[in-house]
Amino acid sequence: MPDTARLRAEDLSAGYAGTPVLDSLTAAIPDGGLTAIVGPYACGKSTLLRTLARLQPAGRGQAVLDGKAIHRQSSRSVARRLAILPQTPAAPEGLTVRDLVARGRTPYQSALWQWSRQDAAAVARALELTNMTGHARRPLEALSGGQRQRAWIAMALAQETGILLLDEPTTYLDLPHQIELLKLVQRLNRETGRTVAMVLHDINLAARFASHMIALKDGRVFCQGPPAEVITEAVLHSVFQLPCRIIPDPLHGTPHVIPA
Amino acid sequence: MTWTLRFAALSVQISRRALLAGLCLMALLLAAALLAVQTGSYPLSSGQMAAVLQGRGTGIEQMILLDHRLPRIAAALGAGAAFGLAGAMFQTMLRNPLAAPDVIGFNAGASCGALAAVILTGGMMLAGAIAGAALAAALVLLLSWKDGLAPGRLILTGIGASLTLTAAADLLVSRIDPQTASDMVTWLTGSLHSRGWGDAARVWAGLALLAPVLWRLHFPLARLAMDDGIATGLGLPVSGLRLAVAGAGIVLTALAVTAAGPLPFVAFAAGPIARRLVPGGKPALLAAAAAGALMTLLADTAARMVPGVQLPAGVFTALTGAPVLLWLLLAHFRKGTL
Repeated sequence: MPDTARLRAEDLSAGYAGTPVLDSLTAAIPDGGLTAIVGPYACGKSTLLRTLARLQPAGRGQAVLDGKAIHRQSSRSVARRLAILPQTPAAPEGLTVRDLVARGRTPYQSALWQWSRQDAAAVARALELTNMTGHARRPLEALSGGQRQRAWIAMALAQETGILLLDEPTTYLDLPHQIELLKLVQRLNRETGRTVAMVLHDINLAARFASHMIALKDGRVFCQGPPAEVITEAVLHSVFQLPCRIIPDPLHGTPHVIPA
Repeated sequence: MTWTLRFAALSVQISRRALLAGLCLMALLLAAALLAVQTGSYPLSSGQMAAVLQGRGTGIEQMILLDHRLPRIAAALGAGAAFGLAGAMFQTMLRNPLAAPDVIGFNAGASCGALAAVILTGGMMLAGAIAGAALAAALVLLLSWKDGLAPGRLILTGIGASLTLTAAADLLVSRIDPQTASDMVTWLTGSLHSRGWGDAARVWAGLALLAPVLWRLHFPLARLAMDDGIATGLGLPVSGLRLAVAGAGIVLTALAVTAAGPLPFVAFAAGPIARRLVPGGKPALLAAAAAGALMTLLADTAARMVPGVQLPAGVFTALTGAPVLLWLLLAHFRKGTL
């Protein structure tokens, strides 16, 4: 395992008051990769992502960003290197797409430096990358689920960070929009060189789009590696208690799970 | 439409809609102030006013305008602005239009604190009001906190606290010596009766001192209105900001209550009015201040227009604000968000 990765969990324990969710977990998010974190319900996927992004406190152990414990770094400086999109975020009524995306520039702004030319350029780039330029003036509540999710991703992109974390970005989207969104994420990973890590429910979609997978079980890493190594009948049986056959996806060659 | 003003590396953004709403509110405030100066049990015409301001008025006109009406109007404007600001700040921070300091007991806490200070020290109303509002806020937020702020718990706990503290304030008034007690009873109903320049100066000085803090908080407050997760992800120190916003909101509530008594529903209604005028998911603090000032001044003027009795302004703010609260509660019930 590369211990040179910018974002790592070292012997990390974390969770909600009284109930530990992560149990001495060690894992690395490969630089430049597209990592999918998978596992059954309540295995600690979201907790891992949120703790890696300092949204939740670390108990024992630490989440490390660029060689230092993330919880001990200035939150503003972290926000210039790592962006996170939590699950189903909320925005005040009436907020337009452009205003939402502009809020991604917060780590570079203050009451006196409200809108630099770099801010304007970064917002325009983020809207362009997510194909949302045409919707910039519309309020969020007027958008479809897929468009809204792209607007949120554009906000995270406007932060111009090397690392992007997404917590179940496809929740509440129908299949065509799930595919569209994951293709967008893949394009961001390949074209802009961003390191991306996301929590995904759907194992087949994860196997198709990810370059690296981390399978969690009971708050620990069960196994990790490229999809071909993680998606095996033995792993699915142990992690998900799912008897199944694995066949190569006829279109993409990635492993595909057929439940028995 | 948004304009960006740049000076060297500095930049400030102004939206056209906010500017327009601000100008309209200013015009309305000016008109309301003119009306307020002229009306009362001793009406003053524009000619008489001009005469007084040029130093040519009669003794009684001078006294009425300079010692009674102007300071009362100044106090109403300052207190209203402070109520409006406090309301918009708490509503934005707690992401809930029901979470206004007057609805959830902070006003009542401030009046209890002010009365206790008067009983114990004979003065120090403002310090007492700050302590009282802070204690009420801590109590209500602690009692309604359960893995975050549940709106239903907050509103019920707050209304309960408000009723309890209002009763406690009535009890405290009975402990005050009879001479000041009658003044305090009027004040406790939310009234600007017999406010002088001292009262007006105190609330405006407080607003002036807080202005830079509010301007600084305005920027992150807009982002705090999203999610805790989003705000943290954007690099904002969420807990520290919450504490700062709550602190400023409590001082504003105390300033307003000291000047105008626990005037109901101004803090509650000013924020939603401002957000309607300045859409786009912004906290619209300036517009909320102007809306609060306008509501308070109009209520006080209406109270002075009823002949024969000395009505408190609180009667009129309650008459207009309480139906808005009912309507908002029903809307929440219908949407199932309470």
